[in-house]
Amino acid sequence: MNILPFAAILVSIVTIAKLRRYTTVLLPLAVTTIGVGLWQIACDYWLSETNPSPMETLLAIFEIHENGRLWSDAAASLFRVTWGFFLAAAVGIPLGLWVGWTTRGFEALNPIIQALRPISPIAWIPFAILWFGIGDGAGIFLIFYASFFPITVGTMAAVRNISMVHQRSAMNFGLHGIELFRRVVFPAALPQIITSLRIALGVAWLVIVAAEMVGMDSGLGYLINDARNMGRRYDLVAATMVIIGAIGVVLDLLIRRLENFDEVRWGYVKR
Amino acid sequence: MSNSTKSKVIFDRVSKSFDKRGEELCVLEDINLEVQEGEFICLLGPSGCGKSTMLNIAGGFERPDTGSVTIDGVEIVEPSDKRVFVFQEYGIFPWASVWDNVCLGLRKVPRAERDRVAQETIDLVGLTGFEKAYPMELSGGMKQRVEVARALAVKPDVIFMDEPFGALDSLTRLTMRSELIRIWKQEKPTILFVTHDVDESIQLADRIVVLSSRPGRIAAIIDVDLAHPRDLASEQYSKIKGELYELLGVKDWG
Repeated sequence: MNILPFAAILVSIVTIAKLRRYTTVLLPLAVTTIGVGLWQIACDYWLSETNPSPMETLLAIFEIHENGRLWSDAAASLFRVTWGFFLAAAVGIPLGLWVGWTTRGFEALNPIIQALRPISPIAWIPFAILWFGIGDGAGIFLIFYASFFPITVGTMAAVRNISMVHQRSAMNFGLHGIELFRRVVFPAALPQIITSLRIALGVAWLVIVAAEMVGMDSGLGYLINDARNMGRRYDLVAATMVIIGAIGVVLDLLIRRLENFDEVRWGYVKR
Repeated sequence: MSNSTKSKVIFDRVSKSFDKRGEELCVLEDINLEVQEGEFICLLGPSGCGKSTMLNIAGGFERPDTGSVTIDGVEIVEPSDKRVFVFQEYGIFPWASVWDNVCLGLRKVPRAERDRVAQETIDLVGLTGFEKAYPMELSGGMKQRVEVARALAVKPDVIFMDEPFGALDSLTRLTMRSELIRIWKQEKPTILFVTHDVDESIQLADRIVVLSSRPGRIAAIIDVDLAHPRDLASEQYSKIKGELYELLGVKDWG
């Protein structure tokens, strides 16, 4: 009975949870254990041999860790996401600030932004490969494209949301030009900008896997495709999926730290 | 301030209408008012009587349809830090510390001078020790003090206050009123203070300008010839209060 260890873990978690009050950690842990337990049951009774069990998946993680694929492919994915994301932020934030603040800029650029936004970054893969070839260039372009719209649109909306009172305060104290942006427009929009960065990074991490599955020869997405094609190693597929999820969580935790600065905390308080 | 002869702010036949869903809505009609230098004026009236519009025009945020507002003889066409608004909702910047908020209008002042003025102003409004605090860490009353300090720091000729204490609880409001009077006596700026609170206007103003609504017209100007701190139980106080309620059309006010 493979399910026994999971039941034992669950019982001990529930016991500890009752003794102490670490429910914020232990409750999700208990739910996870139940989920993995169900996975195990499914493997034992219904699914074919090809489906990896939790233990096989864990072993596969050790395998790609030991042969180095995990690290080289994770590094390749992260490299593309980092560059694409930072380039998108470097262009998208200033553009969003400007377009959001000036009525002319908004009128001129908003329609085209809204028209390009619904085109999935995945649809751009053929052109990305045509322009940049198979490799990092195409990946960076796709991530740039994928994160550019959430960042620009989010920044634009943030600026257009700046309260009338703050705008009038700025006018009243004679703020103009760069100083107006530095002291009012940017800081007022910053909490929402950070939220849009979070969304963009999430999207970027989704897109890079898809992009690497279709049009690249390295990265975690490629690793999934490779594992399936070279001998139907579904345990490696599942292992890579777990890693993708874990890195996604870490990326979100890292970017959420931006929300803790004094300058932006006001933006996340419920009113 | 009837003994003073210098008119600081002059409303000259000011009218203003808004277009509300295709309908012309006259908010202010033929407003004439002369405010003396250093005078504390309350604009009192029901909601929607145009008292905030009067301030916005005097502050340069809106333009009148006809007539003009002049300060020291110069027509107001745009906002300036010579005349500062204290807003109804919190106009201070939540992303900046108390210190940085107060320094907003002192950007062009040399460092040493700026530090001195900012500290003096913060001390004046009673926020000593909270220089590094952020607005979200402060109570409503303290935020409003920051806002007053930010306005005072630039040594403005005129301060416009648009129901500045409206969001505060009634006890804090009382404290803030006496604080405002203390600061006003010390600095002597000209103040135009909008309120719909009859007691507030009698406690603060040298003169109360009562506005009628739709269209907003000056119904009466009431002198409050009482020394500060004002005795809220005095006969004169009740008399003025009765007069104001009558002008505002409120019966059975107690």
